[in-house]
Amino acid sequence: MLNTAGLSLDQAPPIRVPFAFFLAAPFFVFLAGALLLWQGEAALLTRWSPSALALTHLIALGFLTQVMLGALFQMLPVLIGARVPGAAWIAPLVQVFLILGTLALAVGLQWGGAVWLSLGGGALAVGLAVFMGAAGVALARGRGAPRTLQAMRLALFGLLMTLLLGVLLVAGLLGVPIGGLTAWVDLHLGWALLGWVGMLILGVGYQVVPMFHVTPAYPAWLARPAAWVILSGLLLATAATLMGWGGLAVWGFGSAVGVLAIFALVTLDQQRRRERPRIDVTLLHWWSAMLSVLLAAVVWLSDGRAELVGVLVLVGVGLGLPSGMLFKIMPFLSWFHLQHRQVAARRFDVRLPHMQAFIPERWARVQFGLHLSALLALTLAAVWPETVWLTPLGALMMMSAAALLSWLQLGCYRRHLQIGRRFLTSCAQ
Amino acid sequence: MSSIITEAFTHDHHACDHLLAAAEKSLTSGDWAVIGQASEALISTVNHHFDVEEQTLFPRLASIYRVASNPIEVMCSEHAQMRALLSDLGEAVAQRDRDTCQGVLETFHFLTQQHNSKEEIVLYPMADGALRDQATEIAGLVARES
Repeated sequence: MLNTAGLSLDQAPPIRVPFAFFLAAPFFVFLAGALLLWQGEAALLTRWSPSALALTHLIALGFLTQVMLGALFQMLPVLIGARVPGAAWIAPLVQVFLILGTLALAVGLQWGGAVWLSLGGGALAVGLAVFMGAAGVALARGRGAPRTLQAMRLALFGLLMTLLLGVLLVAGLLGVPIGGLTAWVDLHLGWALLGWVGMLILGVGYQVVPMFHVTPAYPAWLARPAAWVILSGLLLATAATLMGWGGLAVWGFGSAVGVLAIFALVTLDQQRRRERPRIDVTLLHWWSAMLSVLLAAVVWLSDGRAELVGVLVLVGVGLGLPSGMLFKIMPFLSWFHLQHRQVAARRFDVRLPHMQAFIPERWARVQFGLHLSALLALTLAAVWPETVWLTPLGALMMMSAAALLSWLQLGCYRRHLQIGRRFLTSCAQ
Repeated sequence: MSSIITEAFTHDHHACDHLLAAAEKSLTSGDWAVIGQASEALISTVNHHFDVEEQTLFPRLASIYRVASNPIEVMCSEHAQMRALLSDLGEAVAQRDRDTCQGVLETFHFLTQQHNSKEEIVLYPMADGALRDQATEIAGLVARES
């Protein structure tokens, strides 16, 4: 039987929905950079410092999750042929809760305060639960590439676990007695980075790596078991934490880390075999993110500094990969919506510029350079925390990269609106 | 369930991907005879693919499954978008404008990828279900030299 429920190939939702997420995201990196500039020493000295916790959430939720949610609202119809129901009004609702929750949580983690922590945890729980409900409906109806679908479904489960553990930890901070709190923090981190982010990179990567640069498909020996191994590893770690067996939990995390490291290696090899010759800024971001994954895995496996792993994962992957994707997605959507209107109205008198005119490649490369300098400075700062000038340098680079990203995004959107207006005027004549 | 149509048309999509990559590669050579040939190969293969879909596959599918007519309309409007880009490409090659060629190919590539993904996920499996007895005949129309 054919399942035709929810069948629609429209480019749902309207462009303002994903753009609201994309445009808001760099603001949080800017905030994180400012916090790092102000409290940087403590942040890179120990992952348990209030500023390290606040920074992590500003980047992971404010930037990374924000971009990922915006992209999912946009891309699910393309990737799995099912759109998120009611996206046009659910998305802004989710975004308001995400933004409020992230800001309140960051304030609560940095300065303490039961009100901020409960407000942050509560708002995030509501916003993410609404998102998971809506995306869950789309994923249940979805079809197409089974590996992508499976990884996306498991990523959503990873987000759910991250959220539940996060709420538990907030309760712990508010005074509810929880034994072995640090083990639960590790578990929260594991589900967040491996279960939500890692799994989503897998799912999206299977589709977009071959698509963007025309590479062979990912080999079945990797794609078939990868998501399941990560899931089993995280479930094992969860069970071990519940039983209080710390040693066993590490094995669970280790298997998931291993899979992602292999995924990174295979991705680099796929991209080496690409047919499209040009090295665009998206490819540069993929390379630096995959190298960061590999380096982070090596540091973690050799029991290196957790702060170094944090920098590589949050800055190298968390800031880099979404930026690289935005440089393709935003110009494309701007162009697509304009050209769609032209074709629908059969009016071609306003000449439409091509994708690259919306975000100039040269400036995107400068942004990549700033990002890379920030990554390098902060990586070195995490290796040698006693070299005090490295952290502020990295923080400034990070803020500049965020500011430039924001500027390029606004330029893209302004261009879109300008041409849209010109088109309306020409139709009215 | 049979997947003869899905496989043949997906295969033809990949053939178009390879031709696009080849056209991009030809731009680096700077030889306009080579660039012209590569673009021509891309344009004619893509147009042939559209023709088979618009003249045979889509009308036959729509006559059996009315529910398919909305997605088909969306697909055809994207075909129109892609045709407009291909005509831009032809113009840019005639004017030997390398930057525009590159810009058009990049835009065309992105548009095509998201378009193909939707066809492969939704429309072709539907066609395989609806047009079981004609599948081999229709698939034969895109299985030319590739």
